[in-house]
Amino acid sequence: MTAPRRLRKELSDLQENTLKAFRDIKADDDNLLRWTGLIVPDNPPYNKGAFRIEINFPAEYPFKPPKINFKTRIYHPNIDEKGQVCLPIISTENWKPATRTDQVVQALVDLINDPEPEHPLRAELAEEFLKDRKKFVKNAEDYTKKHSEKRPAD
Amino acid sequence: MSGGSNEEQQQQQLPGVSSIASGSGAVSGGGRATPEMKRSEVRSLIQRYFHQLQSGCGNAHCTNANCASSGKVAPMTANEVAAKALQLFSQDAQLCEPVSSPQDVDMLSPNDSSSSSSGSGSSTSTITSTSTATTTSTKSQSQSQSASRNVVVAVLNEDPILSVPPLDLSGLEPSSGGSGPCTPTLPPVQSLEANSLIALFEQCRAGDSYDLICHAIGDVFSNVDRLSKSFIRSADSEASSGLQELLANPPEALNKEQLRTLEGEHDKDEDSTQQEQEELEEEAPATTPTTELINREAPAEIEAEPEDEDVTMAHVSGEEDSVEDPSQSSDTKVDFHGLRRVQRLLFGSQTRVVTEKLTTSVIQLADWVHYMRPDWEKVIHCLVICFDLATNTNNSVVDMDYLDRVLPKLCHAAAAMPVPAQARLARIWAAHCSDQLQALVAACQQQITLQVLLDEDAVRENERIISVTKVLKIVFYANILASELEHPSCRVPLDDRIDMAASSSSAGGAIEDDLFVYSSLLQPHMPKFAEDQLEKALQISAIDCRRPLIPLEEFYNEALSENIQMHHDYLSYKALAMESEMGSGHTFSFMLYAFILTPATKVDALYYDSRMRMYSERYSSMINNFGHDGQDGMPRPDLKLTVRRDQLINDALIGLELVAMSNPKDLKKQLVVEFVGEQGIDEGGVSKEFFQLIVEEIFNPAFGMFVQQDETNNMWFNATPFENGAQFTLIGIIIGLAIYNNVILAVNFPMVVYRKLMGYCGTFADLADWSPTLHKSLQSLLDYQGQDMEEVFDQTFRISYSNVFGEMVEHELVPNGKDLLVGQHNKQLFVNLYSDFLLNTNIQQQFNAFRKGFEMVTDESPLKLLFRPEDIEMLVCGSREFDFVELEHSTEYEGGYTEETKIIQDFWSIVHAMPIESKRKLLEFTTGSARVPVGGLKCLRLLITRHGPDSDRLPTSHTCFNVLLLPEYSSREKLEERLLKAINYSKGFGML
Repeated sequence: MTAPRRLRKELSDLQENTLKAFRDIKADDDNLLRWTGLIVPDNPPYNKGAFRIEINFPAEYPFKPPKINFKTRIYHPNIDEKGQVCLPIISTENWKPATRTDQVVQALVDLINDPEPEHPLRAELAEEFLKDRKKFVKNAEDYTKKHSEKRPAD
Repeated sequence: MSGGSNEEQQQQQLPGVSSIASGSGAVSGGGRATPEMKRSEVRSLIQRYFHQLQSGCGNAHCTNANCASSGKVAPMTANEVAAKALQLFSQDAQLCEPVSSPQDVDMLSPNDSSSSSSGSGSSTSTITSTSTATTTSTKSQSQSQSASRNVVVAVLNEDPILSVPPLDLSGLEPSSGGSGPCTPTLPPVQSLEANSLIALFEQCRAGDSYDLICHAIGDVFSNVDRLSKSFIRSADSEASSGLQELLANPPEALNKEQLRTLEGEHDKDEDSTQQEQEELEEEAPATTPTTELINREAPAEIEAEPEDEDVTMAHVSGEEDSVEDPSQSSDTKVDFHGLRRVQRLLFGSQTRVVTEKLTTSVIQLADWVHYMRPDWEKVIHCLVICFDLATNTNNSVVDMDYLDRVLPKLCHAAAAMPVPAQARLARIWAAHCSDQLQALVAACQQQITLQVLLDEDAVRENERIISVTKVLKIVFYANILASELEHPSCRVPLDDRIDMAASSSSAGGAIEDDLFVYSSLLQPHMPKFAEDQLEKALQISAIDCRRPLIPLEEFYNEALSENIQMHHDYLSYKALAMESEMGSGHTFSFMLYAFILTPATKVDALYYDSRMRMYSERYSSMINNFGHDGQDGMPRPDLKLTVRRDQLINDALIGLELVAMSNPKDLKKQLVVEFVGEQGIDEGGVSKEFFQLIVEEIFNPAFGMFVQQDETNNMWFNATPFENGAQFTLIGIIIGLAIYNNVILAVNFPMVVYRKLMGYCGTFADLADWSPTLHKSLQSLLDYQGQDMEEVFDQTFRISYSNVFGEMVEHELVPNGKDLLVGQHNKQLFVNLYSDFLLNTNIQQQFNAFRKGFEMVTDESPLKLLFRPEDIEMLVCGSREFDFVELEHSTEYEGGYTEETKIIQDFWSIVHAMPIESKRKLLEFTTGSARVPVGGLKCLRLLITRHGPDSDRLPTSHTCFNVLLLPEYSSREKLEERLLKAINYSKGFGML
């Protein structure tokens, strides 16, 4: 299976030097342009679970940015119910071909740990986050317990 | 401009004498607009209104609401000023008396009397007497000549009296026999330099007599030979370039100076009015220092070795032998720096007599040039000086007077120059006066507009309009030259680029060079006579200029375009076509100056052309039919297509294919469409529907010929189509027919398609519109400066893309590209090859077929002559209409909003009331693209989400999902204010 040379290198680099917050990185057997991995956040209310994401690289990578999708449901102002996430670093306006996937993932982990209610995808969660943090944290924790995957052992 | 002399003004002029005194002149009375009024007076009055509106009367306490000096005149464009001037004239409005009023002078009188008119204030007795003599004398030539001779005597004798150092020139002539006054002969001033002129002016000002400077200006500015030796950039004033010149060619540089001096003595001047001065010169052949009196550019050593002008010319051309064709050179010796200092001083001081003298002298010069057609190299030097003086203005009355009177004359002279000389002028302007071009365009436009308004019916015959238009073309190309041009030119077909890359497998920079021969086969038809000779001489292509220094819209003249009566101009164009076939061709058609016409006017021209062709095809087929009584297979007078609705594409394609193969000329007949089983007679409506239906089907991605690009909603050629080339040809025919039959199509091509249709290649710059993300990424690759590029990008010369099935396809830009990494040395090559592959090579077969079809219909039309690719897009697609009602109906709401919510209703009523430009911005703000998706705005699926209660936050958007986040603002006013702010400042923030 073919893939842009750089993508193959990035994959093997990431698999060798695992990030603490991004584990279990795999590419589809029949499509190197589709990766999956597990986001393991540090901050409450998301530190009770892990979240499976899918990264889709375009054929033109790195000249076009990858897209990220959450396969695990998450209660987060910046991630919508379909799992779509709007991440500035991979928006078409901001994308730089020198940006590497580990930087993208790091930006995503940061966003999960510290939501940005100013630019929400789910406005009602953003409002809750700003107005009633307690309630938000409680809801998010419940949601995480209910839907998220198990965190890796270490 | 100043053709007629206004008696009233002349009366003022006579007693007024010096500039300050004329302030108390008679106020023009009422009742001006009487029908029996002379045309020249009308013109002059309108001009005065014009000046007054634009520059004011100069009176700081002016109360006239229509005078710029009162500060009550709103800023207007030149066209508006001209219109307003006309209006004021018809209303007989108040006219201020300018502090220094514009004076009209008979510009053809060879020896104007302005030096005399200022004489009365002079201090020395010599000058008073001579100038009085001149004043009293009539325009008898000998007398005025002797007078001027006397003035020179006075000049020379006067120096010690006034105890002003004689222009500190003497010091520069060490070998000329020391300083101080020179031989008391009477030479005319041979040349002027900035410093000497300024010194002379100061000297005159100190003495309160401007005779000296008027004399000098009159001598130099009215004479091509002398002016062409003036304002020469000296080696020390322009140290760096001068030094380079010296280093490059030291003996020559010296020689040049020498020759210039000598030239001065051996000028052969055909102008009869100069004869006497010539004689004077000959009387005193050994007075080199004297003739050089005011020439700062005095030679270091005077070893008078007389040489002929021919030798000088050979020498001059020898200087430029680095450039084969002199018209390709932008060298000029004009000392712009000094010239502008002179300009500021002369015009800034408002010394009427001096500027008046300058004006009349330049007019004299321009007339002389126009009739005598002397050595163009010298004329160019003069024109560069005179135009620069004209454009480098600060809009005072004096400036405007100079501009208005001189510019038409200068244009007249410049327009008469042969093409190589015009090309040279364009190059000089581009290289040295790019900061003046805007002013020059504005000045030319003003002239044209004013002329149009003065006589709307004779626009096409007005010589002034024509010559200014011709000069505007020189400026147009100077503007192109001064802008960043694409290299390599996109005129060069790069079809074989990949093959070239293959041959140079080491992938050096060789591919960058213009190795490719201009392929006439691929170029759209352009009649020989319509080729732009100036463009050819300059070896440039306006199309290579993506971002012109001055926007090309500024070259449109609305007044002219509105009054041109395009059908008449089209006839001139046809006449020109016929004349050129017979080898002549003097008719003037604005169609060859399309840059000055607004798009709407150009569309008119195209419309007449199409109609004419349809009629002539119809006519010839009727002639052919005559005598064939009713036989089968006789040609029809129109292009008839019979189609079934359910077999639309097949029927249309088969029908058109038949025509294209058997008799392609029939495509130029008027299209008549008939739907089988329907009774509608095609008066235009049926074919419109036909086009609409067929475009809908052909461009449906499911049809497989075109793919829709996600990012832009543009249609692009399917690189792996199931259809053969013939299908694309037929689509090309359809697009051509739509233009030809004046039908607008709902197609979304990226601009590069229209550029390619016009015969150019797609280049990296075209990617910006084709895929903004890709363009930005490649640009950031180009911008990357680190030496670790191979590591950071890890990119080889093998690229990948996804085909129509979403599969990834790889392509090697050079053989074995997978082993060649992109680094600093070859990044540009990579980007060029990548762009070329996507825009040209990958779809070459499809596109060539497509263009062949387009050409079949449009090959004889003046399409390429008139339009730039941007205009063609407008022709095909019409102006982009945004149906926001459709958008409203398809919009969904979230977070508590519904279509009933007050703020949502307010939102839509605000949006519907927006001007089109704001709607476009709103669209871009919410979706990231100002383009309408195929199928219209209803396919956009806009989502408006409540973004909390009332707050000061701006609305934001997620362009990825077409989401608009709208806080529930407390009032409609606030909503409108916030919304407008968001869409107008959307770049840079708010978008996530």
